[in-house]
Amino acid sequence: MNLLEIENLKTYFFTEAGVVKAVDDVTLSVERGCTVGLVGESGSGKSVTAQSVLRIVPRPGKIIGGKILFNGEDLLIKKEEEMRKYRGKKISLIFQDPTSSLNPLFTIGSQLADIVIEHEKVKKDEALEQVVKALRIVKLPDPDHAIYQYPHQFSGGMKQRICIARALLLNPELLFADEPTTNLDVTIQAQIIALLKDLQREFGMTLVMITHDMGIVAEMCKYVVVLYAGNVMESGSIEEIFERPHPYTEALLKAVPRLDETRKLISIPGNIPNLIDPPSGCRFHPRCQYAIDLCKERKPELEDVGNSHFISCHRWRELQGGRY
Amino acid sequence: MGLAKYIIRRAIYMVPLIIGISLVSFLVMYAAGDPIQLATAGNPSITEAQRQFLREYYGLNDPIPVQYLRWLDHFIHGDFGKSLYGGRPVNEIISSLVWETAKLQLISILLAFFISIPAGVYSAVKQRSAADYTVSSVAIFGISVPVFWFGIVLILVFSYYLGWLPSAGAHGAPYLWPVFGIKNEFLDELAHLVLPVTVLTFANLAYNVRLLRAGMLEVLRQDYILAARASGIPERKILYKYALKNAITPLLTLLGLSIGTMLAGAPVTETVFSWPGLGRAYVTASLRLDFPLIMGITMIITIMILIANLVTDLVYAWVDPRVTID
Repeated sequence: MNLLEIENLKTYFFTEAGVVKAVDDVTLSVERGCTVGLVGESGSGKSVTAQSVLRIVPRPGKIIGGKILFNGEDLLIKKEEEMRKYRGKKISLIFQDPTSSLNPLFTIGSQLADIVIEHEKVKKDEALEQVVKALRIVKLPDPDHAIYQYPHQFSGGMKQRICIARALLLNPELLFADEPTTNLDVTIQAQIIALLKDLQREFGMTLVMITHDMGIVAEMCKYVVVLYAGNVMESGSIEEIFERPHPYTEALLKAVPRLDETRKLISIPGNIPNLIDPPSGCRFHPRCQYAIDLCKERKPELEDVGNSHFISCHRWRELQGGRY
Repeated sequence: MGLAKYIIRRAIYMVPLIIGISLVSFLVMYAAGDPIQLATAGNPSITEAQRQFLREYYGLNDPIPVQYLRWLDHFIHGDFGKSLYGGRPVNEIISSLVWETAKLQLISILLAFFISIPAGVYSAVKQRSAADYTVSSVAIFGISVPVFWFGIVLILVFSYYLGWLPSAGAHGAPYLWPVFGIKNEFLDELAHLVLPVTVLTFANLAYNVRLLRAGMLEVLRQDYILAARASGIPERKILYKYALKNAITPLLTLLGLSIGTMLAGAPVTETVFSWPGLGRAYVTASLRLDFPLIMGITMIITIMILIANLVTDLVYAWVDPRVTID
C-alpha cells in the first residue's frame, strides 16, 4: 500500500470573479520512503495539493471532491479535531518563505515547543528539550541559545533550517517541502537541498518535493508528478520522464539551462491559463507545439503507458514513434 | 540598564516640549481676548478705572513675557495660581475634578478595549457572515452617532421614562430614581456611572473593533498562521495567541492615545450628563477666559499625553521584539 494516494482531488477557490479550479481532478500516489517531485509552473496547483492533503486550504478555497488516502484512511472524511492530530505529527509541510512562515513575535523555542505540547501533552521544558534536539538535527548552531531568540535574529538559511526542524519535530511519516529553496541564495539553496537529502536518507522519511526546478528534481527525486493548470500531465520515474517526456515536460526541460550543451533556452510561449475558465480539452493545448484539433476537443485520460509511467496526452505515443 | 536610561532620556526630552506647549498656549490665550472685559461685560455700573484696578490686581497689565515667566516660576513650584472666578486655587479645582473624569474615562476605555477583542476577532474570523455584518453595523453606528444625541436618548429612556438611573452628576440624588431605593454609596456611584460609561464605551468600542478586525484580517492571511495550522496548533490558540498578538499593536496605540487624552476627552459627554469632570471645566474655563485654570488643565493634559506616549512606546517594545528602545 502506498503511503499517500490522492484520487480525483478537486480543490476550488470560490472568489468573487468566479470559481478558480486550482486543483482539478488530480490523481497521484506516493510510495513510502520515496522522494517524489511535484513539478509545475507557478499556479499549477502544487501548493494547493499539499495544503489539501493537510486540509488547511485557506479561504475561499474548498476541497469539493475526491479522496486522499493516507495509510489507507481517507483524510477527507475525518473530523476536524481528528485531522488536527495528523498535522505536524504524521504529515508536515515546509513553506517556501521561511521569513513569513515564522511568527515574528514569539521565540523560536516557544513556537516550536507549542507544537510538541499540543500533540504530546508534555511539560514545557520537556518540549523545549525536544525542540533543541530537532534544531541540532538540522545543524542550527548553538540550539540551546537559539530557542530564546526571535526569528528576525536569524538569516534566511538559518530560518529555513528552523522551519525544517519544525516540520521534523514529531517525526512525521510524510513531509511536503513547498519550494523550500526558492527564497534563498544559491549557496544556501545547495546547503538546504543537501540537508533535506541527508534527513530523508537518515530517517527514511517520505518526502514530496514541490518545485519548479528540474535540476532539484533530477538531484533528489525518484518519482515525479508533473502538474499543469490543476491537472496531472504525467507521472513516472525520473528516468522515464526525462527520456520519454510529455510535451509539456519536454518544454519545461528545454527551458532549463545546461552547462554541457550550447543551445538557446526555449521558453514556453504564453502564460498559465486563467483557471476560472480553463481551456477546453487538454489544458496545455493552447501552448503546445504539437497540439491538434483533438486536443482542443477532448480531454486526454491519464493512462498507463508501461513502466508505471502515466501520461495524459493524445499524441504522446505517436510522438514517441509509435513504440509504446 | 538600558530601560532606565531610556526613560530618563525621554523624560529630559519632555522638558522643552512642556515649555514649548505652555508658551504656545499662553500666547494663544492672550490673543483670545481680555478676561476682565469679558467678565464685567454684563455689569453696566462698572467703571473703566475699576476694570483697570482688576487688571492690575491679576497682573494682566505687565508685559506678556513677564507674565509668562511669572507663571512658569509658579508652575515649576507646582502652583497653578487661582481661578479668576471665585478665587479657588487651580490645584484644588483640578484635584477635585480629575478623579471623576479619570474614573469615567478609564472604565469606558478599558471596557471598550476588552469587549473589542472577542468582537473584533470573531468578526474577522466569520468575515462576511451575518455576525460580522452585525458587529460592523453596530461599530459604524457607534462611530456615526453623536455622543450628545445618544446620551440624551439614554437619559430620556432610562431616567425620564423608566426612572431607573440618575441623569446627572456623579453622586447623590437618589430621589431621581426610586426604583431600586439604593442607599449604599458605592452602588450610588455605580448607578451614576452607567449611562455616561455606556455612551463613552460605545463610542470607543466602534474604533477598537474596526481596527482589530482589519488587523486580524491582515494577520490571518500570513504564512505563519497557515504554518501554525499545518503544525496542528488548535484554532483557538492560533487566533487568541498567535494572531491576536500580531494584530493588537494598532489597538495598543489607540489605547495609549485614549488614555493620554482622556482627561480632555469627554467634554460633550460630561456636559450632557452634568458630570463634575475636567472636560466640562476646561470648556467653561475657555469660554470665560479663566487664564490660570486654562493653563492648569492644559498642562495636566499635556503631561498626561507625554507620559502615555512613553508608556505606549515601552509596551510596543515589550510586545514586538523587533522594536528596540534606544
